[in-house]
Amino acid sequence: MKAQLFQSASVHTQIRLDPRTKLYLLLAVNVIMLNSNTVGTSAYIKALLAVIPFLLLLTSRRRNGAVCFAIFYLAAQCGRIFLYNQTTGVADIIIRMLIELMLRFVPGMTLGYYMLSTTRVGEFLAAMERIHLTQKLTIPLSVMFRFLPTIAEEYRSIRDAMRMRGIAGIFGKNPSAALEYRMVPLMMSIVKIGNELSAAALTRGLGSPVKRTNICKIGFCVWDAVFSLMATASAVSYLLLT
Amino acid sequence: MNNKLNVKDLINVGIFSAIYFVMFFISGMTGFVPIFAVIFPAILSILGGIPFMLFLTKTRKFGMITIMGILMGILTFLMGQSWIAIITGFVCGLFADWIYKAGKYASWKHILSSYCIFSLWVIGSMLPMWVMKDAFFAGVRAGQGAEFTDALLAYINSRVLLGIIVLTVLCAVAGAFLGRGILKKHFKRAGIV
Repeated sequence: MKAQLFQSASVHTQIRLDPRTKLYLLLAVNVIMLNSNTVGTSAYIKALLAVIPFLLLLTSRRRNGAVCFAIFYLAAQCGRIFLYNQTTGVADIIIRMLIELMLRFVPGMTLGYYMLSTTRVGEFLAAMERIHLTQKLTIPLSVMFRFLPTIAEEYRSIRDAMRMRGIAGIFGKNPSAALEYRMVPLMMSIVKIGNELSAAALTRGLGSPVKRTNICKIGFCVWDAVFSLMATASAVSYLLLT
Repeated sequence: MNNKLNVKDLINVGIFSAIYFVMFFISGMTGFVPIFAVIFPAILSILGGIPFMLFLTKTRKFGMITIMGILMGILTFLMGQSWIAIITGFVCGLFADWIYKAGKYASWKHILSSYCIFSLWVIGSMLPMWVMKDAFFAGVRAGQGAEFTDALLAYINSRVLLGIIVLTVLCAVAGAFLGRGILKKHFKRAGIV
């Protein structure tokens, strides 16, 4: 799963949104969905807002994801309507808890998945530069995204090596050894790769005071306006109505 | 010594943030079992001890832990969790930085308390559960009657949150000792520290 997040190859989407718009949508959905009010009209606004991640996934060739999300969300909504107050006591509390958690967290997480799976690292960094985020954050951030697939790869190699030496089976008996045998070689190799990476980055002039150029073209288009308006309208009406 | 952060420091922050985030991801996986959802900060603070201790040996400048905290907040936000984690990440990271600096970047006591404080950032991503509690229980009250609800609310109230904080700090202490042990056993010998 890690490998497809923030990939460096280009991503085919029918609607291409600017990373800044994606961030804005994420923020709007996040704030409104996690807000506590669920009664009356605000419930409809939240349901309306949940359409945004669905549409975005649908138009970015992630039809399965979109359908999964829709089924999940609709099931939770049905549960909210039909299952409440059907049982008494603790059972009712648990049902409510699960459904409320799904209703609140699933749309935001889906939008987060959309953001991470359709944005290239370069695009993201270009957008971060446009909103004048300091280099002290953008450099570690890009290193981090560069490193997550590396960690997965190194981990697979370590696991294979352990299997070859026949020490892969002892972990049920000894969890602390399991942690040690995996973590120590992993961190050793990661630190070594990290040193090489910083040497390479310095050679390419990452630390220089000159403004860096970026090959990725980002910019706003019609769809950015449409989706931003949708989110803003929902947010404003939500604030006015509650 | 030059106290400004240079590119090498920033890259180090990125690397260790990545490892720490993998730990976050692993402990978050256990959160699908309902009871673990509450104690996953504790699991994280045990697992995160090893990378964090190694990270601190590479840190001799103010601000690196703060950046790591903010990065964690941003990443959990990008994954669709609450934005509050960005703020708690910043605050906890800043305090952890101060403590670490006060110990001249070497004192074990300061390192220990620095890691305990830093581990608390993750509470931020859970905080909405407590903030939204009132609205949630208004619905329960309508369905189940006030008496039952009040009894339950008194039980859940801040006590659980406090319990999670205490548990997290305790596990952070355990994680820090684990990290130091592994550091002594392996990394010093290999010449990485």
